[in-house]
This record gives sequence, C-alpha cells and structure tokens, in this order.
Amino acid sequence: MNDIKDKNLSQNSVIAVLNGVWHNFIHELKTAFRDRGVVIMFILGPLIYPLLYQSMYLNEALVDVPIGIVDNSHSSFSHELVRNLDATESLKTYSYYASLSDAQHAFEQREIHGIVYIPKDINYKLSRAEQATISVYCDVSSFMYYRTIYQSCNYSILSMNKKIQIQRLNALGIVGESATSIADPMPYQNISLYNRGVGFASFLLPSILVLILFQTLFFGITMLAGTSREENKFHVLVSANAHRGGIFRVICGKSAFYFLIYSVWIFYVLGIVPQIFNMPHIGNPVDLIKLMIPFLLATIFFSMTISAFIPNRETSMILFMFFSVILLFLSGIVWPQSNINGYWRLFAWIFPSTHGVQGYIKINTMGADVQHASFEYISLWVQTAFYFVTTSIAYRWQIRKTSRKQLVESDR
Amino acid sequence: MLHSLFLAIKRTFQRELRRFVSRPIYLLASVGVMAFCFIFFLTFFDEGQPEKMPIGVVDLDNSSFSRQYLRNLQTTQHVDITQHFASFKDAREAMQRGTIYAFVYIESDFYRQVITNRRPTLTFYVNNAYLVAGSLAAKDMSYMSLMTAGGVQRQVLRAKGVGDSQIMGIVQPITIDMHSIGNPWINYGTYLLNVLLPVMLQLMTLMLTVFSIGIELKERTSMEWMNNADNSLFAALMGKLMPYTIIFTILGLIGNLLLYKYMHFPLNSSIGWMFLATILLVLAAQALGILFIGLLPVLRDGITVAGIFGTLSITAAGATFPVEQLPYFFRELTMAFPMRHYFLIYVNQALNGVDVSLSLTKYLILVGFTLLPLFVYKRLKKAAIKMNYPIK
Repeated sequence: MNDIKDKNLSQNSVIAVLNGVWHNFIHELKTAFRDRGVVIMFILGPLIYPLLYQSMYLNEALVDVPIGIVDNSHSSFSHELVRNLDATESLKTYSYYASLSDAQHAFEQREIHGIVYIPKDINYKLSRAEQATISVYCDVSSFMYYRTIYQSCNYSILSMNKKIQIQRLNALGIVGESATSIADPMPYQNISLYNRGVGFASFLLPSILVLILFQTLFFGITMLAGTSREENKFHVLVSANAHRGGIFRVICGKSAFYFLIYSVWIFYVLGIVPQIFNMPHIGNPVDLIKLMIPFLLATIFFSMTISAFIPNRETSMILFMFFSVILLFLSGIVWPQSNINGYWRLFAWIFPSTHGVQGYIKINTMGADVQHASFEYISLWVQTAFYFVTTSIAYRWQIRKTSRKQLVESDR
Repeated sequence: MLHSLFLAIKRTFQRELRRFVSRPIYLLASVGVMAFCFIFFLTFFDEGQPEKMPIGVVDLDNSSFSRQYLRNLQTTQHVDITQHFASFKDAREAMQRGTIYAFVYIESDFYRQVITNRRPTLTFYVNNAYLVAGSLAAKDMSYMSLMTAGGVQRQVLRAKGVGDSQIMGIVQPITIDMHSIGNPWINYGTYLLNVLLPVMLQLMTLMLTVFSIGIELKERTSMEWMNNADNSLFAALMGKLMPYTIIFTILGLIGNLLLYKYMHFPLNSSIGWMFLATILLVLAAQALGILFIGLLPVLRDGITVAGIFGTLSITAAGATFPVEQLPYFFRELTMAFPMRHYFLIYVNQALNGVDVSLSLTKYLILVGFTLLPLFVYKRLKKAAIKMNYPIK
C-alpha cells in the first residue's frame, strides 16, 4: 500500500520527470544502436559522406581545359595570343586545326571544349590600327566550361589590348606617362572578399555539409519512428509503457539522445572536415556553436513532427531522398536567395536546413558573427519553439490513439 | 510454353496493380514526386539567369562622373544598386549579412584623379561564397568600368585631335565575339533542368524498383509472388516491374516535352532521340534496382544504396563540375552511372545536334545496363523462395 502511495506522490516530482527523461533517453539509445539502418544513418552517414563529397570535389577550378585553335592569320600576333592562352592555368592548346569545321569535328568528339578562331584579316586590321575581332566558341554542357573559357580568353585579350593601345598611341606621337594613362585611365581591381580562390568546392561544399547533417538526422529519426510503428502491437508511434503518462518525458528523452550524437558530428563535419580539406573555415567557433544549437533542435523537432506521419521504416527514404536536391536549391546558395520567387522563398523558410546553410556560410565562410546572421539565428529559434509544439501535439495524438486502441483491445 | 510464360507475366502484372493501389506510397513516389519536381524546377529557374541582384556602393567621390558610372551600372542585366554606404566597414557588414553580393568602392577625388591622369583604381569587392551571384555581378561591374574608361579615352583622344575612325582601334583594339554553342542565352535552367529532371526520374525509378521487390521479401510474400508467376523469376520480374516501366516512361516523356516543347530549351536534333534516351534510362534504372536488391536482399539496405546512387548521379553526370576534371578514380567511376551516358547523349543530341552515330555507343551502354540483373538472378530467386534474409 505504502509503495503505491509513494509512487503516486513521486509521479509529479521533478526527479520522476527526469527519471522518465532518462529512461526514454536510454531506451532510444538502445533501439538506435541495435538497428543497423539507424547506425548507418547516425554514424556512417555523417562520418563518410562528407569525406566522399570532399574527395570528389578536390579540384576547386578547372585546370588545362583543352581548346582548339584555328589560326588563319599565322602572324606574330596570333602566336603571342596562343602563348598567352596556354600560359593561363585553366586553358591548354590541344591542337591547331586547318578549318573551323575540323575544329568543330574535334569539339563534337569532346576532345576540345572551346575553339579560338583568329581570322585572316587580323594582320591587315592590326597594321592599319583598326579594330579587329577574334571569335571564341565554347562548350556550354557545363557552366564551368563556359565560365572558365570566357574569363581566360577575356583576360588574355585584355592584357594584349593594353600593349597594342600603347603601340598605337606611340605611333600617334603620344608617349610615356600620358600614353599609359590614356590606355588605362581608370584601372579596376576585382577583390574576392570571401572564397578568395573563387573555388567551386569552397562555394558548394559548405552547404552540402550542413545538408548531410540535416538529412541523416531526418532519415534516422523518421526511420526509428517507422520501425517502432511496425514493431508495435498497435502500430502507433509511442508505446504505452514508454510514456508513462507524460509526453514531455518521451520528447525530451529522445531529443536529448539525438542532440548528443549530433553535437559530436557538428564538430567533426563543420569543424574538422573543412580544415582537413582546406575549405573555408574563418568562423568563430563560439558563433558557430551558438547557431548550431537552435539548428540541431529545430531539425530534431521538425523531424519528430514529420515522423508522426511515417508509417514504415523505409517510407521517408523513398519519399524524401529526392528532397535533398530541392533543399540545396531552396537554401539559396547556388541560385541566390534574392532571386528566388516569393512563394518558394516562403516555402524554403519552413525548413531548418535553409537557415542552417545560410547561417553556416555567413559565419564559417564569411567570418560573420551571430548578429550578422540574426535572421537565421532567430528563425531557427522560432522554428525550434514551433516544431516543439507540433511535436507535442503529434505525440499526444499518437498516445491518445494508443490508449484508444488499448481500450478496444481490453473490451474484446 | 511461351503462352504459359505470357500468362504468368499477365497474372503478376495484375497482382502488382492491386498492390499498387493498396498503399499510397506507390503513387506518391512516382506521379506525386515527379509532378512536384516538374512544378518546382520549372518555376524555380523561370528567370533563366539571376537578374538584378542586390549590390552596394561606397561612393566617396560623389561627382557627376561617379554618379554617371553608377547610373550606367544600374542598367546592366545582373545587378541592382540597392544600398549606398558611408564607409567600407558598413558595406562589408552588409555583405556579411547577405543583403548584397558585391559592392563598388569609389575613392574620394576619383574624378579629379582621372582628369589629371593619376589613374585612380576602381575597386569591386565580390562575395564569391555565392559563386554564381558573385561572378555575374563582377562581370557587369567590370564591363561597365571598361565602358566608362572607354568614354574617358574617347574624350581625351578627341581633345588631342585624333580622328573618330582611329579612336575605336585604340579604345578596344581587339574584341571577342563569344559564341556559346547550343545555349546562346546561357540559361541556367538549361544547364540544370536537363540533368535534374532525368536524375529525379532515375532516382524514383530505382527507389520503386527496389521497394516493390524488397517489400515482398520483407513482408514474406515473395514465395506467393513467385508461385503466382509459376516460379519463374523472369516472369515475376517482368510482370512486377512493367507497371513502373509504363508509369516512369510516361513521366519521362512528359519531362522531355516540358523541356523541349514548353520551355523551348535547345533541341538541335529530333526529340525522338531524347525519348529513346529517356526510355533507356528508365530501363537501366530498373535493372540497377534489381541488381541492388539482388545483392542486398534486405529492403532497407537496398533503399539506402539506391538513394545514395541516385543522388550521386548528379555529380556523375557532369553538368555541375565537368567529369573530365574530377579526380581520376571518380572520373572512371562515373561510367557506372547511367546518368553519365544519358548526359552525354543530351549534350550530343539536344545541345550540339551532332550526328547520331557519335551517340551510338552511349545508347548501347544504356542498353547494356539492362543485362545487369543476370548477375543476381540466382541469388534473388533463392532469396525470394527461401525468404532467409532478415526483414530489417
């Protein structure tokens, strides 16, 4: 008799609640580590995926893109131009071709990705100090080819232009300092403040790293939920003995477990991996941690809310794997956020990954502090609160369903 | 014999249709996901190129000259001057906040320095953490600065009595005539959609192939599935997968029509060649799906592998970062991805419109993928009949 009384009394005490949280924490830990699929998601995913992506994109920029030359002028000018193009890091003369159609043939075989055509009349025009034109044809199968060939040709031509300008001015009797200043009255300087090397990997991979964390956490949580649904007698998310009358304990116990695992992964994926692979990492660790706490919490509660609707273990992988790509675009790195349609921007706001990616890039790549990423920071806390409430509602709904089913069962 | 095989396939086909309607996941993962992707990608990149991106200005000169430059800059395609800052520090902070992608810094007395031949430097600060936004903004800013410099040169030369005919040869001795083969408008939608839509199609085909077979193993109904097909795995697979072949082929062809007829993306040969590539892509994905679930006859493992393979296909295709420039190991590995071959066909046929004989080997490789299930034929049959693999 006394025992029962004590139990009732202690049911509402703080210690009992903590005890319940602890019980759920351990329960979740055991189920997770007994499940090969979840171990893959929670452990192997965050461990290996970043390394895989980093090593695929080891090259930051294109090097020695093969181009073809069609030189109809055979002049010292054309030789110098080809030398200059060859000297750039990104281009390499693959071969000379007798005609444009020969070069086009090589282009179609994908031997070369660009063609520089120097017309016959260039000598004539150069000698008469007229404006001359050369043609550049480039492969647009990948944006990187276009960008690289365009920039390198532009750069080489611009520097040759400078020389020719001086020569022509000299010929007009304008020499020395005044020729230089006419040739280049207001030089410009293009400074890349962040991602200084203008690298492709430094641009893309930070967002992929955050998305790996988001997606593995999401899949792990929804998979655990789907499994417990399948194994549970009543096909509900939370079994009766787990919650012992309090959803708060279930939610806190589970989320504490997810949070602990992923706080380790935050350090590894966002802290160590970028250093190993020489990716941008100029962020202040304290600011990063400040941002990542609400990011993890929002992601966890977001996933737990969705998990209430996941009937089976594999459902979420099948239905949401494709969403990894959508989330990348929604995060507004590849396609600038300012240019995303209003309704898609609103849609993007729903997902913690959007703010996680933007915030991480601001802090880690651009060295901002949390104040500069305040929109993301506040959004993530708002999401944490909102998704915590939705998780509670979803769990309460699930628990009601359990007790109803149990009632039906006992009536039989 | 042949007749009984046909009947077995037909029975399995009918059985699969009943299974298809028994759960929402089949319809969601095929028509649902693809419809979402069509709507998402077609509306997301509707601008073609990001236009009028916000940039800032620190104009310490504030002369009629600098204001003219900024007015000219404002008319370019990619940038929109949204903010004026009093100092470098303010501008940099706005850049860190992400409200601007670049800013122009015009030092004080800039115009006076220009007219007194002291060659002041115009400085652009660009945020390449957003590489696309940064490069496009930089392109417009440097272009406009060259134009402005050209204007100054013209004025000075005229003052020196140089004739107009000679001036052009001095301002810009050599110009570049840029041709982007096949995609003259440098439309990002063209780059991305031509790869992303088939990638999604392939991913979902893979997923549903693995799922529709794996669920039989998981729910221990595979024996019944086999019995229903007279214990012929060939009939069992044909009947089971045919509904998905039909659905995904239709979805794929709709995708092609959307890209080439509705969006009018470059199509320099017959659309039939892209139809063929799409059909072969669906078949190759189904064959890979059988391979995955045959190697790992556990539903969840099969799904995981299919998911990883499906998303890696974007990289393997080579539209984002050219395959030719990947590290050696990955470069060779891309050959194992049907998307790589599909992409090369797309470049050849749709983009460059070359003779189809150049794409022949790629079509044949895609056909070759359909032979992959032979490797796991025995293993899968054993797994289906004995049902000896764990269910999770």
